[in-house]
Amino acid sequence: MNSIKALLFKLFFIVLLSACEAPPRTGGSGNNLHSTEIITVDTVSANEEYVMITTAINMPMYVNHDQAAFKMWAKKMGVKASILGPSEWDIPAQIATFEQVIPQKPAGFLVNGTDPGIAQVINKAVDAGIPTVVYDSDIPGARQHSFIGSDWYEMGRLQGERMVKILNGKGKVVVMGILGMTNMEAGFQGFLDVIKKYPAMEFIGKYDDKANVELAAKITADLIVAHPDLAGVAGFDGNSGPGIALSVKEANKIGKVKITTVDAEPEHLQLVKEGVIDYLVGQKRELFTQMGAQMLFDMRHKTIAFSKNDAKAGVVPIPKKIITGSIEIDKSNVDLFIK
Amino acid sequence: MIKDRVVTLSATILLLCIVMSFLFPSQFPTVDNFSQIMLNLSIDTIVAVGMMLLMISGVFDLSVGSIVAFSGGLAGYLMYYHDVNFLVAIVAALSGSLLIGFINGFLITKIGINPMIQTLAMMGVVRGLSLMLSGAGIQNFPYEYNYIGQVKILSLQSPIWYMFAIVLIFSYLFKNIAFFRRYYFIGSNEKAAHLSGIEVEKMKLWGFVIVGLLAGIAGILLSSRLGAALSTSGKGLELRVITAVILGGASLAGGQGKIVGAFLGAAFMGIVGNILILTRVSGYWQEIILGIILILAVGIDQLIQKKK
Amino acid sequence: MKLGLKNISKSFEVIKALQNVSLEFHKGEVHAICGENGAGKSTLMNILTGNIQPDAGEILLNNQIVIIQNNQHARSLGINIVYQERSLTDGLSVAENIFPLPPTKSFGRINFVQLHRQTKALLRQLDIGEFSPETMVATLSPAQKTLVEIAKALATNPAILLLDEPTASFTDKETTILFSVIRTLKKRGVTVLYISHRMAEIKLIADKVSVLKDGKCQDTLSTNNCTTEDIIRLMVGRDLQQVDVATHSSEEVVLSVKNLCGKGFNDISFDLKKGEIFGLGGLVGAGRTELAMAIFGAIPANGGTILKNGQRIYNRHPKQGIANGIAYLPEERKTLGVFLQKSVAENIVSARLYGKGYNVKTNNQKAGEYSRTLNIRSSSVQQLMSKLSGGNQQKVVLAKWLNTQPDVLIVDEPTHGVDIGAKLEIYKILKQLTADGKSILLISSEMEELLLLSDRIAVMREGKIKGILHKKETSENEIIKLAAQ
Repeated sequence: MNSIKALLFKLFFIVLLSACEAPPRTGGSGNNLHSTEIITVDTVSANEEYVMITTAINMPMYVNHDQAAFKMWAKKMGVKASILGPSEWDIPAQIATFEQVIPQKPAGFLVNGTDPGIAQVINKAVDAGIPTVVYDSDIPGARQHSFIGSDWYEMGRLQGERMVKILNGKGKVVVMGILGMTNMEAGFQGFLDVIKKYPAMEFIGKYDDKANVELAAKITADLIVAHPDLAGVAGFDGNSGPGIALSVKEANKIGKVKITTVDAEPEHLQLVKEGVIDYLVGQKRELFTQMGAQMLFDMRHKTIAFSKNDAKAGVVPIPKKIITGSIEIDKSNVDLFIK
Repeated sequence: MIKDRVVTLSATILLLCIVMSFLFPSQFPTVDNFSQIMLNLSIDTIVAVGMMLLMISGVFDLSVGSIVAFSGGLAGYLMYYHDVNFLVAIVAALSGSLLIGFINGFLITKIGINPMIQTLAMMGVVRGLSLMLSGAGIQNFPYEYNYIGQVKILSLQSPIWYMFAIVLIFSYLFKNIAFFRRYYFIGSNEKAAHLSGIEVEKMKLWGFVIVGLLAGIAGILLSSRLGAALSTSGKGLELRVITAVILGGASLAGGQGKIVGAFLGAAFMGIVGNILILTRVSGYWQEIILGIILILAVGIDQLIQKKK
Repeated sequence: MKLGLKNISKSFEVIKALQNVSLEFHKGEVHAICGENGAGKSTLMNILTGNIQPDAGEILLNNQIVIIQNNQHARSLGINIVYQERSLTDGLSVAENIFPLPPTKSFGRINFVQLHRQTKALLRQLDIGEFSPETMVATLSPAQKTLVEIAKALATNPAILLLDEPTASFTDKETTILFSVIRTLKKRGVTVLYISHRMAEIKLIADKVSVLKDGKCQDTLSTNNCTTEDIIRLMVGRDLQQVDVATHSSEEVVLSVKNLCGKGFNDISFDLKKGEIFGLGGLVGAGRTELAMAIFGAIPANGGTILKNGQRIYNRHPKQGIANGIAYLPEERKTLGVFLQKSVAENIVSARLYGKGYNVKTNNQKAGEYSRTLNIRSSSVQQLMSKLSGGNQQKVVLAKWLNTQPDVLIVDEPTHGVDIGAKLEIYKILKQLTADGKSILLISSEMEELLLLSDRIAVMREGKIKGILHKKETSENEIIKLAAQ
């Protein structure tokens, strides 16, 4: 009797073990594209739905640029555009939302590349055969069909060159942004690579403002006290510029502390017009989502085919990576951007 | 019958599922969708089991969300920056979580700090610690670590199994083991429990330790299943879990609730969240709707009690 | 203003709290009301303040019938009360406590100047100079807080003021201050209803004293021509109930307490014998409950020893007390004794949550057995405790403690809030337990109960044993004299 029980027990465990399905070993490159067939459809229908997966869906920059352009595109094409994600900056919630939409197999995913942690779920969508484009920041380890975004190294390089130019090649400078984020770090590198070439330029350090206006202002105020001869500050997130500008204004250092930063929101533009900020590198965010969505559409409807069956042949019929380039703004052209 | 939340909540969930199956026949009642719902609620449920334990004894813990982030962050930090073996990293992360629970419990029971204030402060401290450890996030864990939270057994991902195991084990413990049974007495009348020979303070201390451990386990599972320790992990989790536990039949006064209620509460919230995604309702609405549901659930309860 | 009660009756389920009580209170008199616990004093007060309505009878205010609807209504009629439990907010000043609705300026800003002036005037009227309107209540002594309470009650200009055991936590000096305030009130024509146990105080401050017993008004005496003995005689003296009072006490000492000290009691020594019921008499606040809790392990003792069967024991937690064969049935059943939202069965096993297993089935069986032997009336052992009557709840608590198999059972006011039927049943159970060889330490404020059940009685006052009396050689009067002085 006992031996039968034991046998049953063993059998149970064998069944259980054989029912285990190990996760894929690597999150890496695109060589297993052959295994999944992209879902393609010949006819365009009004019901086909393109889903944007983002986080902090009420952030003004996202609403005014990314989401507005995406919605406009969908209207023009006569398809549905859905924007999903948590109302706060919450990556696990973005992932949870993404995971729950995948089984519904929408026509395509436009994913805001918020955090390297979303790589796995992007791969899940790709493995489900759904056209997937990541925008804004590239995600290492993700196998999305295309990435579209800015070249942050280039944005850093542009800021560095402009900083050198307005400071006549000498002075103390710092950079500010979110430390540890891949795109920001690339921007810092681009900035530094330029500064290094000028021996009279002195680089003081990198500071973490956590994308927070108050914190950026506080850091700047402290820096001005610590280094009365501070010559320039370069910002790398959307809130760096306004924060730096606030402290420079309060310290009566307008013109003495030069500011270059990213983004071209109305606030930034106004500060350029006032002469507080000297130079802006804007992103072409509308292109991220408008072109990104168009690529999803083209992929689904096989607008361009490179073979009899691109999916089977392992061909992704859209660009692997699109760099949208930057918009440079200073006092000379700022009026053209103010609405 | 109508007084037992487990019954009413199960019925509500069933009804909700039936209605949704009619409205979204090809999307809602699918294996894929349900395994996804379960996967997403597994982390919350594991923490909710611990929270239920605390709320049965009449207290709660606001630091659990931060512990979830801390546990994954510490394991990730050790594996990524110090090449520590994944098992050692897990043991370290769980010990750390346990220690946080112990500190909470010690300061609350021995020094007499109010539980809400203590765990609120600890929430901030531990969140800061986990940001220090994992910064903007850590990826590229060893395969073995990711395996823990990503392996599928009978086509369900492992966190779901862990969740069921923990719910079943704690349900059993709360029914059959005197130690756990004491929490009901403490929650229902602390002074009388003391005079009945129950070591109220020691029991509460243990409660916080157990919750810390469960939150630690949840943190390991979350980071392992995401393959990343995210800085925003566990954000807002504490309030979500308290909501789930109250929906599941706990009361702030203590002495009430069943472990399975924690699962049902979390499941209900998970399904509501899924419905909102299926219906493409905006993220703002999720919070509004869950708030209204909580008020309704507790309000209806009060009305029923008043009638009696 | 003249206040009269005519044939007031009030019952709670089976307990007749007041029966046909008629009393008259005249303007400017201090009228003491006394009686043992459960004599009906608090019911009477609650009726006067509108908290409860009488079943029958009339309240007359200046010979007009009034129905006092609620507390607020009572206040508007000029009747105000100072409760034993304080209603002050520690974080506010004296003035703000006295006037919860302070005078205001525009935009609802508090007019502190006027508030403090008003308060100062009030305090001066009462001859209170120990603290000022600005003093924080948190810094005051219990007695000073009582004075603030009185001032707060007087701020509404009452014609009749009820004081409920105001001196419970007072020193002699503080009592003197209070009495001078009461005399000031009297001069201003306020009627003071003074509820107290303390004979000496009553003689000192009251003009008249009315004695309640078992819900009936025994008599109203003028304090000038009566003695303390007269009052005590009215409070006690009743027919003994028929309970088997045979003693089961042996000579074997089970529990020996030597020089035990702690918060609220001092230098306590006594021996408890096998099969004995050892009574602890005294007034509320004499330190009996504290002593019992210290023996059980619920509060720490600072010195002295406890021997059980000749072995020294240390009870630092109730857990150890239980393990050492001691059980404690607490005085306040609702707050300390029962788990109202738990079932009868769960309550019965609540002091034995040890070992590993918790088996609902065996627990229910055991609870069923106790239900039968103790005659607990409930629909089933699954019934919620809150649905049971006080007497049955108390029997459940007894069952809970018997379930721990104690040698020594400490029972603290075991028949508080219990109807007469259940009372007799509890007496029988206690006697039966001693016949089975258990020893009982009985704390009771009811003289009759103490005398009926105890083999010996120790009388406590101010934390000390004032005498150990043998039942056969003592009387209620002797006990009350020792307890109350």
